[in-house]
Amino acid sequence: MASSNFVGESIQKFVESTGVIGFFGAMGWANVVMIGVAFFLLYLAIHHKFEPLLLFTIAFGMLLTNLPGANLYHTELFAGGHVHWDIFVAQAGLLDYLYLGVKLGIYPCLIFVGVGAMTDFGPLIANPKSFLLGAAAQIGIFVTFLGAFALGFTPEQAGSIGIIGGADGPTAIYLTSKLSPELLGPIAVAAYSYMALVPVIQPPIMKLLTTKKERAIKMKTLRPVSKLERILFPIVIAVIISLLLPSAAPLIGCLMLGNLMKECGVVDRLSKTVQNELMNIVVIFLGLTVGATATAEAFLNGRTLGILILGVMAFCIGTASGVLLAKVMNLFVKDDHKINPLIGAAGVSAVPMAARVAQTVGQKENPSNFLLMHAMGPNVAGVVGSAVAAGILLSFLG
Amino acid sequence: MKMLLVTNWGWSEILWVALISICLVFIVLVLLVFIMKFFGYIFTQPQTTASAATVAPVVTGQLHEEEIAAIVTALTLFKDEMHDRESEVLTIQSIKRAYSPWNSKIHGLTQIPDKK
Repeated sequence: MASSNFVGESIQKFVESTGVIGFFGAMGWANVVMIGVAFFLLYLAIHHKFEPLLLFTIAFGMLLTNLPGANLYHTELFAGGHVHWDIFVAQAGLLDYLYLGVKLGIYPCLIFVGVGAMTDFGPLIANPKSFLLGAAAQIGIFVTFLGAFALGFTPEQAGSIGIIGGADGPTAIYLTSKLSPELLGPIAVAAYSYMALVPVIQPPIMKLLTTKKERAIKMKTLRPVSKLERILFPIVIAVIISLLLPSAAPLIGCLMLGNLMKECGVVDRLSKTVQNELMNIVVIFLGLTVGATATAEAFLNGRTLGILILGVMAFCIGTASGVLLAKVMNLFVKDDHKINPLIGAAGVSAVPMAARVAQTVGQKENPSNFLLMHAMGPNVAGVVGSAVAAGILLSFLG
Repeated sequence: MKMLLVTNWGWSEILWVALISICLVFIVLVLLVFIMKFFGYIFTQPQTTASAATVAPVVTGQLHEEEIAAIVTALTLFKDEMHDRESEVLTIQSIKRAYSPWNSKIHGLTQIPDKK
């Protein structure tokens, strides 16, 4: 009799320790919904190839964190916006340890080193006016900042939501982890989903704001850029922006470090490492841990829907601002120096997708028109611009 | 570095932050435009002077690089079109007999070696 009791209790204990029981708990339904969302994102990443490198890992992190009983990630360890070191070692799961890289702002900066090493700033150096288009496209960030505040978000949350309009994943994650870490999951998902949807979101706005004649404008060939200019550019930009905006120094500094590695030509091994191995490793950690923050409590609420709507609004306003500024600039230049307004849309970062969209839309009007290199200028200027905008928001709200 | 220590955020503070922020983004990037323009001026200046010193002066209007490329392409195409006029007489003569080494099974590649 005693032995049968023991067996029964043991089986009951085992059943209670499984995650399956968790689905029948208070928030069990929410976990099921979140697992469904994770499956949907996995489907988008694998089948439709929507930013698969990040969406895939984010979705899998989301799946792991919502499995009841897995205890891989604990929101309470990071409650209140800071790490609770006193209970950290005793309670932390695998994803909690990995999440420290996001919390301490390490992963986005390491990704920026790789992005810098993969970016060609030549078109921007050859045509510095592209910086203006990169700046104009950041208007979406600040309009959305106001919109989010109007919807009842705190200023810190509004700033994090606005930065989705920068169309720059690492920048969005960096700023959100500093200002409102509780929104990291929805903001990262929104940012990467919309970046994948750039070819769908941008063309209608570009066509709406331009005439057929404007879209067919052929731009003057860019001047060749010397090696010395390419080497000096990252150094000068890193020094100037870090002095003017110290809060943007981690992002800009890392971006320019990577670019200098590429351009100087003497550290090829390092350049290749940051472009491939380091980048890939950090993408895995970043995606998994950002996905892990998308717990049922953090994701399944009205705020997420608001973030998704505001995010797409930020993208649209950024795109429109870039195109409109290019049109305004055309009023002040000679005929042979006209800018094709389509390249203004590339100012929203999303490198190189937004530049490719400008090229595709431009070629539909004029098949002999090659806008890609011209669009790469505002595109990389957008990366600098969104990092500057993030630094400014961090200075005001951080 | 924290610029503002606002605890009660109202619409006026938010509007000012948004306005100042967008102005700052433009100021920083316009500053970069001027710096890069200055750099461009420095780096393109020696090239211009050097090319001016080495290239022989052209009396009537200099040709643009693209025009030179177009002329060279046209000349190449024109020269490629020019061929020697040939006799237009076929030199392959028909042979009446049906057998030829070219259609011979004996001389084919799959011929089995003759072991003697």
